[in-house]
Amino acid sequence: MIMTNIGSVPGKKIVEHFGIVQGSTVRAKHFGRDMMAGLKNLVGGELKGYTELLQESRQEAMDRMSEQARLMGANAVVNIRFATSSVAQGAAELFAYGTAVRVE
Amino acid sequence: MLEGIFGNLDLFLFLLFVVIGYSCGTIAEKRHYKSIIKREKELIKLMLVTAEGRFADGAVHESFLVSGSMVVSNDYFKRLLAILRNFFGGRVKAYEPLVDRARREAILRMKEEAKTKGAHMIVNLRLETSTIGRSANKKNSVGSIEALAYGTAVVMNRP
Amino acid sequence: MKFTPKHIDENVNVSKTHPLAELAWLVGGMLLLALVFYLVLGVTADLAVAKIPIKAEVWLGEHFVDSFEANEDEPLRRRLQRLLDNLPADSPLHKYPFTVQLVKNEEVNALALPGGHIVVFSGLVEQAESENELAMVLAHELGHFAHRDHLKRLGRGLGLTVAAMLVFGEDSAISRLVSNLFLVTESSYSRQQEADADRFGLALLVNSFGHAGGATDFFARVGKKAGRRVPYLLASHPHPEDRIKELQSLIRGNGYPVEMNAPVGDDLLSEAEPEQEAETAVDQ
Repeated sequence: MIMTNIGSVPGKKIVEHFGIVQGSTVRAKHFGRDMMAGLKNLVGGELKGYTELLQESRQEAMDRMSEQARLMGANAVVNIRFATSSVAQGAAELFAYGTAVRVE
Repeated sequence: MLEGIFGNLDLFLFLLFVVIGYSCGTIAEKRHYKSIIKREKELIKLMLVTAEGRFADGAVHESFLVSGSMVVSNDYFKRLLAILRNFFGGRVKAYEPLVDRARREAILRMKEEAKTKGAHMIVNLRLETSTIGRSANKKNSVGSIEALAYGTAVVMNRP
Repeated sequence: MKFTPKHIDENVNVSKTHPLAELAWLVGGMLLLALVFYLVLGVTADLAVAKIPIKAEVWLGEHFVDSFEANEDEPLRRRLQRLLDNLPADSPLHKYPFTVQLVKNEEVNALALPGGHIVVFSGLVEQAESENELAMVLAHELGHFAHRDHLKRLGRGLGLTVAAMLVFGEDSAISRLVSNLFLVTESSYSRQQEADADRFGLALLVNSFGHAGGATDFFARVGKKAGRRVPYLLASHPHPEDRIKELQSLIRGNGYPVEMNAPVGDDLLSEAEPEQEAETAVDQ
């Protein structure tokens, strides 16, 4: 599944488009990560645990989006946008959306 | 037995709310999804893209901003699931239908607005989600979720 | 560019797990975690508490006993002393500055508080029909001190409440639930502790009086009023019938003689009901 965040796929021609596809996931951190983050609050530095968590979540959201595109018969998703928001204490929603197209 | 109930009133009320939340919440969710799917099928002809449109000169009659939004709140049972999940981490499955419903409904409302105004397509769609509600930023509580969809609706000059 | 709108029925953004199944998993996981935590904490608390020196415990005791307004009861003290005098010379119990107080309360109960303070409720004294019975009760309490049971109970309950507060926060409903739960379950001794105290008490009784008469009288009388066995499954002490059986098998096993019991002395409840009668209890 080709994914771009511009209006086209460079070097290919869009022949058909199917509409919007979206993928989202809601993830919570667990107790252990919270404690490590609390410690890092003292010394500063990258919160590796959280970075990994959000990266995994973003990948999962993109996977869901491309799955939906595949079901529509598309082979590329263009003009992708991301959004992150917190939906509950300690949980964040990762969201990706784009237009499903068929390119040749 | 009545003494037992009054003695542990807060626990009893909690369980009652969970049961009410689960039953009413499930019914409401199913109903909403049915309505969403029906309307999506009706409005599917209205073209929607996230790309910016490129239009030939003179092809466009008019264009205007359209938007649709919805605020959903979770039921008590799902809130309990989220709190428990917060301890172990991982996917908060209880919230997925919540944001999904909110967003699809927001898109539908935006499409409906565009259709009533006679648009043929919507370009440059953007979607935003935020938490609102009195308890949104307090610890250990769940706010309501607002989903917003907006884009540029375009009315073409039909030849 | 062609536009082919397609509606997908399958929802990729919602998991297929049934919410009730997820609830079962999460709650099960929490209970399992709590159980493991409880067991680990219990074992560590027991080990730690046994090491507390008696002097420290006496200091603790001074902070507890002020809650009861009663003075040391001379008649009871004399009876306690008689038991103490019959302990082996190397018993750690000699390090305790024992005091025994009589509290006006209908309850048939006696408490062992940290620091060597024994509290006896007047309800219990009124029920006693021989010196031997009373001595058995006091000796049983001494057994709890010898095994540091009262400290173990405190240690475990406190440790768990503190742990719950650390994890869930002070105001959380879960912390309150935990501290209430442990107040109830840990506010009495475990059955094993009670049985051990019975065994200690019996040995001390025989040492002091020369025979095991009166050991089971009290429980026999209380047991008649106790009723069925089932509520005792969850109670912390064994059913009186079971205690009697256990004591009797100990008496037989150790070959303790059983003789007549001494009637209750008049000095015991001098301010209380004047109609207290002293009977001679017949041995079983």
